[in-house]
Amino acid sequence: MHVTWRTVELRMLLPLVVLVPLGFAITYSVQADVLAPGPLGLAVGYLAIMLGAHLVLTLSGHRGDQLLLPLVGTIGGIGLIFLNRLPQDLAGTSAFGVQLDMAATQLVWFGIGVVSMLAVAIGLRDDGLLRHYKYTWAMAGAALLVLTFVFGTELYGARLWLNVGPVQFQPGEFIKILLVVFIAGYLADNRALLTEATARIGPIRIPPWPYLLPMIAIFVMVMLMVVIMKDLGTALLFFGIFLTMLFVATGRRSYVLIGLLLFLAGSFVAYEAFGHVHDRIDVWLNPFANPSGPAYQTVQAIYAFSRGGLFGDGLGRGLLPGVGGSFPAIQTDFIFATIAEEIGLVGAFALLALALLLVFRGLRVAILAHDDFSAMLAVGLTASLGLQTLIIVGGNAKLIPLTGVTFPFVSYGGSSLLASFIVVGLLLSISHRSDREAARQRAGGAT
Amino acid sequence: MTDEVLRLLLLALQLGFLALLYLILFGFGRSLLRDLRSAERQQLASRTGIGRLAVLESPDDEPPAGRSISLGPINSIGRNVNNTIYVEDDFASANHAMLTFRGRSWFIEDQGSTNGTYVNGHRIDRPVALSYGDEMVIGRVRMRLER
Repeated sequence: MHVTWRTVELRMLLPLVVLVPLGFAITYSVQADVLAPGPLGLAVGYLAIMLGAHLVLTLSGHRGDQLLLPLVGTIGGIGLIFLNRLPQDLAGTSAFGVQLDMAATQLVWFGIGVVSMLAVAIGLRDDGLLRHYKYTWAMAGAALLVLTFVFGTELYGARLWLNVGPVQFQPGEFIKILLVVFIAGYLADNRALLTEATARIGPIRIPPWPYLLPMIAIFVMVMLMVVIMKDLGTALLFFGIFLTMLFVATGRRSYVLIGLLLFLAGSFVAYEAFGHVHDRIDVWLNPFANPSGPAYQTVQAIYAFSRGGLFGDGLGRGLLPGVGGSFPAIQTDFIFATIAEEIGLVGAFALLALALLLVFRGLRVAILAHDDFSAMLAVGLTASLGLQTLIIVGGNAKLIPLTGVTFPFVSYGGSSLLASFIVVGLLLSISHRSDREAARQRAGGAT
Repeated sequence: MTDEVLRLLLLALQLGFLALLYLILFGFGRSLLRDLRSAERQQLASRTGIGRLAVLESPDDEPPAGRSISLGPINSIGRNVNNTIYVEDDFASANHAMLTFRGRSWFIEDQGSTNGTYVNGHRIDRPVALSYGDEMVIGRVRMRLER
């Protein structure tokens, strides 16, 4: 068997061997007031997972993008350092007689996520399974949505959770991937026809109705999600992904403009209809009107950003985890505020730059793809990671109203982590296939 | 160890952590730049043209399966040797189909062939717009349009 060494991947993963244990040691030492390495097992476990993934990719002869795994590994490593630094009783699991606290639970999910990523990256040898069954995948997504509506549990005013036996998961994370697969398949099959504008509404040219109707159906579906899940963040994410893919497929700005106007209209309806959406917007517009009421989190986050300043208070020295006894959702929605407080603008900027590089790499996978379906899939998946980061960071920094989406690879949460790793697995699989195809073209008697 | 020493040591480690983070970021930036340069070279060397036709199946081996044919804007396909893409197959017509790039998309049109032209398993009766990744069958030759 021919083994291709993934040297770039290994070289970019190696600094984590220092970074992750260093972060663990600093946060532990600061909190315990002695110089000690802290929970070394967690750091070693994390490194083993990432280097193990590298080893499996190398041994399987994978030719996928070599920067995706190190980027994800670095972002996830920073996330784990902060999850370990937070009070461990915020979350956790006790299953099969084993009691795991928050960081350990997250590490287990890292393991499950990486294994799923490898299964997708290596197992998905061609895109037929995704492309030809796109309506089946869409139905699966719709079914999940209906299940959430019927059996879902409501938390903080949004219906996002589904209980399956002992496990609680967020179907929205997986519906997101199914939606991208379906839209990519649909756009790849009908791209040429969506680009040719024939019908008109007033001054705006629109594609022929038979091709427009499924697009409207997707729009309605996304809007239904808002009603069912009552969650503006997920809706904004889904709709952003949809518009990005539509724009990339057709190159028409008018679609994006119409879409954004429709979203604004939909948001206005949600603002009028749902109390908690109303509250979120009011908090965003005027957080200091009621700083100890609904705006408590936002106001404390703003203070945290301000305390952090340029270089931060230092790892483990932030005050946000301790305000008012405990700070709700600090391990999920407000992890970025904690990071910005402790490593400052400089550190937070580095984290955002890593996320940006991940998006850059995802778009590169799309550009190098050899067929429209793979390209659209890569664009949609990349947009999902990028927009989700943008929405939660923007919400933390009061740039946009706060909505409860997770920071991919950083926030605590199994569903989110698993879904994000599947996204990376799909990107790896696409880039593997396009690289193989390019090699075949170079070698295989191109005329 | 006094508190003062511990404090200074931790401060140094904090700064070291940030410095390492930026070193990693710098490393990623360098890899990306190197990658962009090599992509540019490859682009200049090989990638010209608007598309390729990969031959997936060809019982009579002309064109041979596995070959990737680079396409111009207008390509005629058929059993006549004067076609741009010559297909030696008993089930293909002399002038079988036209594959053209118009505006932003590829189109294929059957030229009144006996056995027809199939796109993704469906026989076509008028010019059909193609996406990259679509499969065509001419006679018994199966081909895929690629970027």
